[in-house]
Amino acid sequence: MKVFRSHLLLCGGTGCQSSGSLAVKKALIEDLDKRNLTEEIKVVETGCNGFCALGPILVVYPEGVIYVNLKPADIPELVEEHLIKGRILERLLYREPGTDKIIPTMQEIPFFALQELRVLKNRGLIDPEKIDEYIARDGYAGMAKALTEMTPDQIVKEMLDSGLRGRGGAGFPTGLKWKFAAGSKSDIKYVLCNADEGDPGAFMDRSVLEADPHAVLEGMVIAAKAIGSTQGYVYCRAEYPLAIHRLNIAIAQAKEAGLLGKDILGTGFNFDLEVYQGAGAFVCGEETALMTSIEGKRGMPRPRPPFPAVAGLWQKPSILNNVETLANVGQIMLRGSAWYASIGTEKSKGTKVFALTGDVANVGLVEVPMGTKLGTIVYDIGGGIPKGKKFKAAQLGGPSGGCIPVQHLNASVDYEKVAELGAIMGSGGLIVMNEDKCAVDMARFFMDFCQDESCGKCTPCREGTKRMLDLLTKITQGKGKEGDIELLEEMAGVIKNAALCGLGQTAPNPVLSTIRYFRKEYEEHILEHRCRAAVCSAMFKSPCQHTCPIEMDIPSYIALVRAERFEDAYKILLQTNPFPSVCGRVCDHKCQSKCRRDNMDESIAIKFLKRFITDNAPRPKIEAVPVTRKEKIAVVGGGPAGLTAARDLALRGYKVTVFEELPKAGGMLYWGIPSYRLPRNILDHEIDDIRKLGVELRLNTRIGKDITFAKLEKDFDFIYLATGAHKSQKMGVTGEELGNVFGGVEFLRDFNANEDKWLKGEKTLGKKVAVIGGGNSAIDAARVALRVGSDVTILYRRLRADMPAAEEEIKAAEEEGIKIEYLIAPLKIEGKNGKVSSISCQRMTLGDFDNSGRKKPVAVADSEFTLKVDAIIAAIGQVPDMSFVDKKTGVEVNKWDCYNVGKGYKSRTANPKYFAGGDAVTGPDTVIAAIGDGHQAADDIDAAIRVANGEPAYEKPAKEIINVPLIIDEESIEAPQMHMPEMNHDTRKLSFAEVELGFNREDAIKEACRCLRCDAAV
Amino acid sequence: MAKLTIADLKKIKEKVHKEMSLRDGDRRVKVTVHMGTCGIASGAKEVMDTLLQEIETAGANDVIVTTSGCMGLCSREPLVTVEVLNQAPIKYEYINPNKMRQIFKKHILAGEIQTPFVLAKGSEVNK
Amino acid sequence: MKAEDTELLKEFTKEQVAKLNSIIEKFKSKPGGLIPVLEEAQVALEYIPISVQKRIATGLNLPLSRVYGVVTFYSFFTMTPRGKHTVRVCLGTACYVRGGKALTDTLEKQFGIKQGETTPDRMFTLESVRCLGACGLGPVIVVDEDVHGRIKPGKVKEVLSQYN
Repeated sequence: MKVFRSHLLLCGGTGCQSSGSLAVKKALIEDLDKRNLTEEIKVVETGCNGFCALGPILVVYPEGVIYVNLKPADIPELVEEHLIKGRILERLLYREPGTDKIIPTMQEIPFFALQELRVLKNRGLIDPEKIDEYIARDGYAGMAKALTEMTPDQIVKEMLDSGLRGRGGAGFPTGLKWKFAAGSKSDIKYVLCNADEGDPGAFMDRSVLEADPHAVLEGMVIAAKAIGSTQGYVYCRAEYPLAIHRLNIAIAQAKEAGLLGKDILGTGFNFDLEVYQGAGAFVCGEETALMTSIEGKRGMPRPRPPFPAVAGLWQKPSILNNVETLANVGQIMLRGSAWYASIGTEKSKGTKVFALTGDVANVGLVEVPMGTKLGTIVYDIGGGIPKGKKFKAAQLGGPSGGCIPVQHLNASVDYEKVAELGAIMGSGGLIVMNEDKCAVDMARFFMDFCQDESCGKCTPCREGTKRMLDLLTKITQGKGKEGDIELLEEMAGVIKNAALCGLGQTAPNPVLSTIRYFRKEYEEHILEHRCRAAVCSAMFKSPCQHTCPIEMDIPSYIALVRAERFEDAYKILLQTNPFPSVCGRVCDHKCQSKCRRDNMDESIAIKFLKRFITDNAPRPKIEAVPVTRKEKIAVVGGGPAGLTAARDLALRGYKVTVFEELPKAGGMLYWGIPSYRLPRNILDHEIDDIRKLGVELRLNTRIGKDITFAKLEKDFDFIYLATGAHKSQKMGVTGEELGNVFGGVEFLRDFNANEDKWLKGEKTLGKKVAVIGGGNSAIDAARVALRVGSDVTILYRRLRADMPAAEEEIKAAEEEGIKIEYLIAPLKIEGKNGKVSSISCQRMTLGDFDNSGRKKPVAVADSEFTLKVDAIIAAIGQVPDMSFVDKKTGVEVNKWDCYNVGKGYKSRTANPKYFAGGDAVTGPDTVIAAIGDGHQAADDIDAAIRVANGEPAYEKPAKEIINVPLIIDEESIEAPQMHMPEMNHDTRKLSFAEVELGFNREDAIKEACRCLRCDAAV
Repeated sequence: MAKLTIADLKKIKEKVHKEMSLRDGDRRVKVTVHMGTCGIASGAKEVMDTLLQEIETAGANDVIVTTSGCMGLCSREPLVTVEVLNQAPIKYEYINPNKMRQIFKKHILAGEIQTPFVLAKGSEVNK
Repeated sequence: MKAEDTELLKEFTKEQVAKLNSIIEKFKSKPGGLIPVLEEAQVALEYIPISVQKRIATGLNLPLSRVYGVVTFYSFFTMTPRGKHTVRVCLGTACYVRGGKALTDTLEKQFGIKQGETTPDRMFTLESVRCLGACGLGPVIVVDEDVHGRIKPGKVKEVLSQYN
């Protein structure tokens, strides 16, 4: 008998086979053969060992090691490592899962714990096709009570007292509806159930019908007894075949058991029920249209009065109730109206079922008491917005409803409050939208739906929805005109007033609601052809370019990297950006947040590719530009905004002088951002290129002190104020004036001005440093403090997800050993001998939402504690320092300490000689925004000059034509974003050497190949 | 079923409660495959078929299989609840045929809860 | 009746015509029975042309205009035959640029029909659809409910052979 040194047991069960075990077996045998191991190692195919979800599985004997999730590509490595070298291959090893102690109970999962089930009380617990299981959970007990112990009047009273309002959307008191019908005299009356649920995004009724159909039947029998009816219909849309199927089974079973039909429960009461199938018309969810449809006609609504309670189906008194409404009725009879009314708000009693969908983690069915906060539904139950995106709005009520934006997350969801906010409760569809959704496009989508479903009977709806749709479509295509928004509002008003039925009357709601909360977006579409969500693609080439504040031609330069034409790529960068090297290192890359590749795997590393180009392509040679214009321009502030404006104006032939108060230019780029993120030579090169054009740079010169404003106005024709925001905001706690308590910006400036002293240890913060704040400045200050030898802890008053700092910065700080503590606020700073010695803090918890959609931190009582520290850096925000501005200039400074602009030109101040931009106007913002401001200012100043001289407008010289190859791959293979190599965590914090090392050529090209070329036009 | 009286309703309730609490000797495990339209669209039918096949192959007579409508957390379907006699019900999420096989062999037959696939244990409580 | 039956037999089988007649009988005395009749007729005959509408009108004692009005109002009813399977080609720009146009051309040639039409054997109806959002898988076709990505013209035959 042959003896093998190893047996390889490969599972050959059904499960593993379906996961590809045969291909693995083949690869294994081939590899063993190749290495001549088939005499030593035997492959045995075994039966299933039970780990079917981890297959294909291999057990190596005699060790008994289990390898899982094998692919044919893994085999060579596995054989090499384990069978030849004797080393276990960790990455494929089976790991024992934890014990069941870590399994949460349903009550510990907020999605379930925060719901209050009444309508959905049987969900997941009964087989809908077994009537016994329904009866076992108190099914038909309410009906039994109503039929044997109550009169019709008592039933109606119970319904009125319960406060139940129609759950189909209108919220009309159910008891009142039944009362009217009960009061109508007729020997034939009808009970109708509206199971047409046509709202896109709503599936509550479908769920009830599929999971618990008897609840609806029970409700209808009770309703029939209340109003005196013997015949009912369930009008169910044909798109719900499973619901129709289960309804029919339920009806048959109920009839067989004598719970429906003749002589119900032996009480002598008769009520029969039929299912009537819809045929694909949304309008048939409307009351009178539904009845007309049952009558076998075109589903067109009828004018009211007469109301259905008086003359409905076949002109007989009828009541029409929604599925969810009816599902409540049995329980109301059984447990009483007081029980039902015990939850909810004053005017909205009971619970509401919502179909929570869209950009939310937990998509599903949610039943909560009326009055629950919207934020609770979206965040606590829904699990928040996935992928770190921001909440934009929640759409309530589908095509008849409206959106509720972020500032109303604390709103109670009940009929009155929702209507007050411009939406409607609707049937319960709650669609969560994140920042990547366009408000105008959403309005257009719903109007498209209404227009398609309009029955055509009345002119306001038939013509009105078409015209509104046309107008909305034009706006999304960039063809909107001034006055369009007002026209939409006017048309909406007319249609709402004059339409015959609810479809028309509510069709304008999404438009009105989005105009109310997102008017700016409409204006941007019309006036700027801009879609901030990058959805309305007719208006732009690619979402990345459109989102960039300076519209860099991203697809082109990425395509040129792919084609290995780096010099041409660099030229494309410089067409719009004077600081591509800088941006390639510190930009907040909003372009990447809209990259369509993210829908497939991960966004393209646009920022890193930009850096690759500037690091690897030859630097274009800069020639001085002759001065051809007579006007002289002064720029106050040598930061990105000022330098960009200077460059643009110099390129147009102007003589420009930049005044900078500090010893080096660059603004925050030099004095704020540390060199391990932005090396000094990189910045110097780009500033030098601007100087080479002929721009004069006067350092160490403070306007308002070394040179008066009066002198400036004498020597220059126009002045651009780009003085930034360099003053740290105070925390407002006692002890802030003690020694070794720094503002974030001030600390970084001191470091950069005295780098030598700090690095030598002549200046020091001390051993323990606390940094207060959560923005990029706080992280920068913390990582610098670490590098000069301190132990650093960041204290932030909210959660990590709320920190404004870039995720990659936070991660980098953590990797370097910086601790971050959340939900902590400073109370008091204590000192000894004039220097800080400790800081008292308080723990916070999260309260209601604020206007930005983040939960407000609220102090926890008696939670104070003290940290011993040697220094504190408060980096909670910056404001501009306007103390140098001469009031006689007439330049306005507003209450936020920023310049007021927009007088005639976007960047012009109240004094036509002065323009302003950058952080000094907007407050702290990004580098790319400052560059954009600089471009704007140059355009404005140049335009103002030409207009004053009577010259024609500036014509940009023809750009050099660079042919960009259009290569579309036939196949895109999923691959994550190329990883940026970084310095080792431990070594890098000992120096200020650049942490990110840059792509090599091969990786850059690989990454560039991932671009999907969204700019391709047909 | 004959026409019911109100007294009958109460009797049925008791009878079913008895059955559902698995006190009957020959029922040890109850498995519910949640099958609303959303569940079916994500593959609940295939999961159900797999389960029934595995039960047949193993000859497991003490396992009852039932279905229900949607149980609410649609984004994690297909969902399956496994209730072993005298133990808290376990809800599994994102189930596919292979996971169903593993759960059958490891949990239903061998009593080992397959933690990586578990959503939660217990039930929703009606207040 | 007999005359109308002859006209119907030109497009439908004897069994289908018999089924149609029985459907009409079933709902004849039901008020509002027109829509259920049309629903069952649509399932049995796959479409409801004028000839069928005439038959239903006579059978239910309604004017033809009434039947025609209802058929054209509800989106479930169709007057032209639809295939057993609907093939929708995504014509969003991403798919288009990755060969969506070539795909449409291939399908049109293979089936011998243009977009919006149905194959003579009533197996497939060809339609276009706007972006489905699966752009990384482009070009994409949807057959009934199944999304098929990365379809090259050469693979089309293989994919469609799954459907019969």
